[in-house]
Amino acid sequence: MESTRKLISSKRKSAFKQQALKDQITGILFTLPALIIIFIFGIFPIGYSIYMSLFNWQVTKGPFVGDKNYLLIFGSWWNLLVIVAGIGLFILGFFVWRKAFQTMNNGSRIAHIAGALVLILGGVVFVTGWGLMYETGNQDFLNSLIVTVYYALGTVPAEIIIGLVLAYILYQDIIGKEVFRIIYFLPYITPSISTAVVFQIIFSSRETSLANQLVGFFGIDPLRWRFEPKPVLNLLGFDVSGLAGGPSLALLTIIFFGIWSFVGYNTVIFLSGLGNIPKEIYEAAEMDGGTKWDRFWHITIPMISPVTFYLTLIGFIGTFKAFNHIYVMRTPSAQNTVVTTSLLVFDRFYKANQYSVATAQAIVLFIIILGLTLAQNKLMGERVFYG
Amino acid sequence: MDNSVVIPNTKKIKKETPAGKILGKAFLYLILIAGALIFIFPFYWMISNSLMTLGETITRKMWPAVPQWINFLDAWEQASFSKYFFNSVLITLGTLAGLLFTSILAGYAFGRIDFKGKNVIFAIFLATMMIPESVTLIPNYLLIRGTIIPLPGGTWINTYWALTVPFMANAFSIFLLRQFFAQIPKELWDAARIDGCDHLRFLVQVVMPISKAPIMTVLLFGFTGAWNAFQWPLLVTTRNTWRPLMVGLYGFIQEAGPQTNLLMAGAVITIIPILIVYFLTQKQFTQGIATTGLKG
Repeated sequence: MESTRKLISSKRKSAFKQQALKDQITGILFTLPALIIIFIFGIFPIGYSIYMSLFNWQVTKGPFVGDKNYLLIFGSWWNLLVIVAGIGLFILGFFVWRKAFQTMNNGSRIAHIAGALVLILGGVVFVTGWGLMYETGNQDFLNSLIVTVYYALGTVPAEIIIGLVLAYILYQDIIGKEVFRIIYFLPYITPSISTAVVFQIIFSSRETSLANQLVGFFGIDPLRWRFEPKPVLNLLGFDVSGLAGGPSLALLTIIFFGIWSFVGYNTVIFLSGLGNIPKEIYEAAEMDGGTKWDRFWHITIPMISPVTFYLTLIGFIGTFKAFNHIYVMRTPSAQNTVVTTSLLVFDRFYKANQYSVATAQAIVLFIIILGLTLAQNKLMGERVFYG
Repeated sequence: MDNSVVIPNTKKIKKETPAGKILGKAFLYLILIAGALIFIFPFYWMISNSLMTLGETITRKMWPAVPQWINFLDAWEQASFSKYFFNSVLITLGTLAGLLFTSILAGYAFGRIDFKGKNVIFAIFLATMMIPESVTLIPNYLLIRGTIIPLPGGTWINTYWALTVPFMANAFSIFLLRQFFAQIPKELWDAARIDGCDHLRFLVQVVMPISKAPIMTVLLFGFTGAWNAFQWPLLVTTRNTWRPLMVGLYGFIQEAGPQTNLLMAGAVITIIPILIVYFLTQKQFTQGIATTGLKG
């Protein structure tokens, strides 16, 4: 009796082991095709980019130059150090503001004052470092970063807000909900080259262009739209110029396109997120007598926050990668006001054949994206409410 | 939330009178319709301009007096669109076949098989979603040119392989399918295993038939990705042999310049296949988004 039980259990054990081994082999085999392709075209190139950036590489590999390609960007490592110190102080200030002196009486007030001081100091150090870098480093690259930030700030928040509003309305009992959803998503899936051409024509600098007829309706003189390098603020009458004066009208036109093409994606994802909020919560709130607005603000916004977080992340990473529509919509006369970093890198590589300079710039861009993602995770991740 | 009870109900009562309710609803529809008009207008403009004479596009008519269907023929022939179109179809089909093969297998492995190293590999896959193309573009170009390692046939520039193979797997599709596959009840697999089913048969006979929605979602995203690709094809095609439609259209933009009507006809041609696939898959696609972890 005892022995048979042992026999069965050992048999079972070996069958179990066999299954585990089988699973191990099957698992590896199943992932292998994807692994090979993603490794060769997605992971290996990162290492190879770093390798390339250490050489003088123009079409073919030249001599080893060490950090020279990076120095072309930063001017000197010292400049970079100042900037990093500024960012470090900024992060420190943030933590002091939030967490320090908690045990003391009045601790949070002291923490806020101390935190604010460190934050300001961080800001000053950062700006100093940026100034130094701008003097001795690669201005084209730094300009492209500014343009990229303008583009990101011009598109992502607008896309999130419009997407959420449209999704929230669609989530009410709306007749023809399906039709609206299909229409909203259309710009996202159609090729951006094809739709950017239409925007080119709508926003052409001709007096008879549709955009000019529209602003003419409000008594505004014809504008040059995607040919206009002047900052929007300047056109509105403010005394600013150059990249420091904010996004140019040309960039704004591209931002319009960005929003138009991406809002539908956010709407669709938000809509499915709204569907996951339990109806009972709304019903309970309704019984408590909250207004529709209360319900939106106190239930929908917190319950949807994981989706908002995901979409913001995807949105920011997307703007740093954006290429096709900017490449099509840019004009020579808009100068550098529409050249984002991904375009700059492509130009360095494709037009100027400076492979190693381009890879060094791309790696710096990658590190910036990585840093921003981490910061966003930290900042927004804490505020996200997961059920 | 507690003090929301205290909020006087007058507001609420006012809002929910029938007239107010209808007005509120009407306002919501107004926003939705305005949004829809903005989203659809560029498409309307594309189509109406593609049917105009050149003169009509300059005077900015809203609709052509007589639709000029000949524009499509002109665009098709002038810019060798027929060649590009055919190329794009083949490239997209090849990419999709590869993509579905790799991501269904990997998605299944990550979602349903326990094996060592799984979490590490999956994390690495996910991390690749953050990498900007700018970083991978140049080494990939050298790779395809045959500079880094010798390739069968010397160089892959201007070949079918250059345009398809690099896109035959991506982390996004694997992630999407994994999320769905992981939700399938374990009892199903236990029952199948007792019947002597192995993973591959279970995947093909049980999992795939009930996973139409996420697979269609991958298909739609894969199709648009391959069909709309521009930067990479621009880089690796120097001749017409395998040049896809988007690069052709871009060339046409440079050439056709002021011939707005032909340009728009070209643009319409490029979006038709996408529209067809979108309308065919959109129902499953909605479900796919709702049932997978796509929403974060």
